[in-house]
Amino acid sequence: MLPGPVHPVPGPVAGYVGADVPVELLTAAGYTPVRLAGSPSEDASPGRAYLGGGLDPVACSILTRLLAGTYGPLDVLVVSRDCEASLRLFYVLRELHRVTDVALPPVHLVDVLHLPHRTTTRYVLAKVREFRSWLGGVDDAALADAVVAHDRLRARVREIGALRAQRRLTGTEMLDVVRTACTRPVAEVLPLLDTLLTELAERPARPGHPIHLTGSSHDDPAVYAALEDAGLLVVGEDHDRGDLWALGDVGLPDPGRLELALAERYQSAGPAAPRASIRDRAAHTAAAVRDRGAEGLLSYVRRFDDGPPWDFPAQRAAAGVPAVLVDRQDYGGVDAARVVRELHLAVAA
Amino acid sequence: MTRLPSATAATAHQRRWFAELQAQVAAGAPLALVNADAPQEIFRAMGIPYVVNQWWASIVAAKRRTQDHLARLRERGYPDYTEQYSSTALGSAFDTDPGTAPWGGLPQPSIVLAETTGDASRKIFDVWGEQPGVEFYPLESAAAATVPERWWELMPHRWEEAVGTDRLDLMTGELEGLIRFLEQRTGRRFSEQRFAEVMALVNEQEERNRRTRDLIAAARPCPVAVTDSIPAVMVPQWHRGTGWGRDAARNLHDEVAERIAAGSAVCPGERARLMWVGRGLWFDLDFYQRFQDRYGAVFVWSMYLAIAADGYVRHGDDPLRALAARFAAFSDQLYTPPWSAEWYVKEARSHGVDGVVHLVSDDARGSWATTRALRAAGIPVLELHADNVDARRSDPAYLDGTVGGWLEAEVLPARADA
Repeated sequence: MLPGPVHPVPGPVAGYVGADVPVELLTAAGYTPVRLAGSPSEDASPGRAYLGGGLDPVACSILTRLLAGTYGPLDVLVVSRDCEASLRLFYVLRELHRVTDVALPPVHLVDVLHLPHRTTTRYVLAKVREFRSWLGGVDDAALADAVVAHDRLRARVREIGALRAQRRLTGTEMLDVVRTACTRPVAEVLPLLDTLLTELAERPARPGHPIHLTGSSHDDPAVYAALEDAGLLVVGEDHDRGDLWALGDVGLPDPGRLELALAERYQSAGPAAPRASIRDRAAHTAAAVRDRGAEGLLSYVRRFDDGPPWDFPAQRAAAGVPAVLVDRQDYGGVDAARVVRELHLAVAA
Repeated sequence: MTRLPSATAATAHQRRWFAELQAQVAAGAPLALVNADAPQEIFRAMGIPYVVNQWWASIVAAKRRTQDHLARLRERGYPDYTEQYSSTALGSAFDTDPGTAPWGGLPQPSIVLAETTGDASRKIFDVWGEQPGVEFYPLESAAAATVPERWWELMPHRWEEAVGTDRLDLMTGELEGLIRFLEQRTGRRFSEQRFAEVMALVNEQEERNRRTRDLIAAARPCPVAVTDSIPAVMVPQWHRGTGWGRDAARNLHDEVAERIAAGSAVCPGERARLMWVGRGLWFDLDFYQRFQDRYGAVFVWSMYLAIAADGYVRHGDDPLRALAARFAAFSDQLYTPPWSAEWYVKEARSHGVDGVVHLVSDDARGSWATTRALRAAGIPVLELHADNVDARRSDPAYLDGTVGGWLEAEVLPARADA
């Protein structure tokens, strides 16, 4: 699989939060985009003191790590509005800049919205242009190169994801593929993924009961690993650090329309739980379960991740396989034995 | 002290209006259920009756029926522990015996309107939209990377500068879509002239509320109970854009002025002036009175009159863009720092409060910045952790003990030393 410990990223680094940041602009501006992740094994109370006790603990962990300098030097910090926790994190970062002397990199919000309307596209286009202006010095040729590179990266990840239907890799391994793809320079990752695709073609199927995992997205492998150690195999999910991350390309229109192409790609990115409708989520779940041959549906929901439990009744109805919801889970924690037991009960029912 | 006539009149009007509404809907009229922060003036101009989602939740809570409503959601597999203030009315849609519900129950709407705020709000309305005969029109909820301070000085006339052109372009475009949707869905016509009249009436109403707020801020002792000012402001707020709403605001102003002139006090011997930051504690409206009776501590401020005073007025030559400006950043005014935090400080100072009780719910509202700003201004703040409609975590002993202990330990001694 992919190499283990990562070495420091060379050159300027742009830390970013959330799935909706147009990373192509960061690459074109000369930064290495590094998607920030929290850690369920670390105390997040410093971040929680600012964000409050009712917010997704991932955001509290990221803020804690930013305050502690855990990510190393970040030249800029970009936050998307992919969920309420990311938006609230941005507001706190902005306020920390305004009223304290806490050392933080310059921070910018990219407000990508997702309703499927032309009015929304016009707004997202304005936000893409605003982001480009904030970065400064992004020329069209560099942006076109970055679009090609990131599209290629997404295509490779899609190819790897498709192999999950043949059970060539575990969900935990797929999570690692996406983590690498969104924390290392594109030019460094592409050859690694090519090698991985070659290896996977020869690999025997992984064991385990195949399930589709929905609900909260995972920035840490703990839950995946616990589920797969208990005999499940995550063959598909709808997470922005999994299959959804690679959905949809920017394409390469004529140079005058690059910003619009970026706007349309990020506006229409896959149906993530916090922003997509219940109907779209259910249809996506049903298709993903079918395409990957999942035999069970598990919705795992972290405490204070408010969107996914509203999706579950429609997902269960649409999926056509035994379905289980485990909600209000601690960050990084899961009672995997209970999940397996409940899935068995759902099968029996 | 006797109840404020405006409060009694508002409640009576609302009951009558609701009974008439039920008859209209039974006769085939369309009904909209709209979120509090969504632009209702278009419905007013088109003659489409609407019920405000959170207003209905407050009635259900005041009648102690919230748990019944949440149980109906739970029975259908939906969570009963997120955004209860927004999801309570959805429980009414699943009521099999509306005759026993508050005020005869919420008639089934044909249109629901909400912004896509938070992670769950939109989903609640998705479920509404799946009900037979109901259509959901979602509005985007855009956020700004940069915002101005002292928005209350900009909003009446310089709202383009305060809200930002991108957000206004988006909301204006969405409102044009909403008008077309409503024309097609209801067959009713949108008149630009009628809409301009509605917008003018709203500005008149809110200007009166601003004068009332300023009177109360300056008055010593406090002439009006917060439990009176809330219905006297909010019922007309849900009827804004009507002559009744404007006149109700005028009556409230005149009654407050009369009480001040007469030297009336909600609490003779007022010992402390308090500010309530957060939504109304609808399941326990006696809460506010108890601290008055026990400690002489009077809640002189709630966001309802204050946001009516500062948050709604929008003058301008383009009524639709002015309406967009009223709502494109509405929740920012209350919940997004620095807008919200600096506004609460301004209001605390102008009302001369001795302390702030800050209701902190589990939903994400940026509480840290508000508390920080108030404390930085030298104002004592108690963060009270509770939900405003779901009483399961908030029994009266907890509420009273927490607030009472804070008053005794911090607020009253400081006032005595002053």
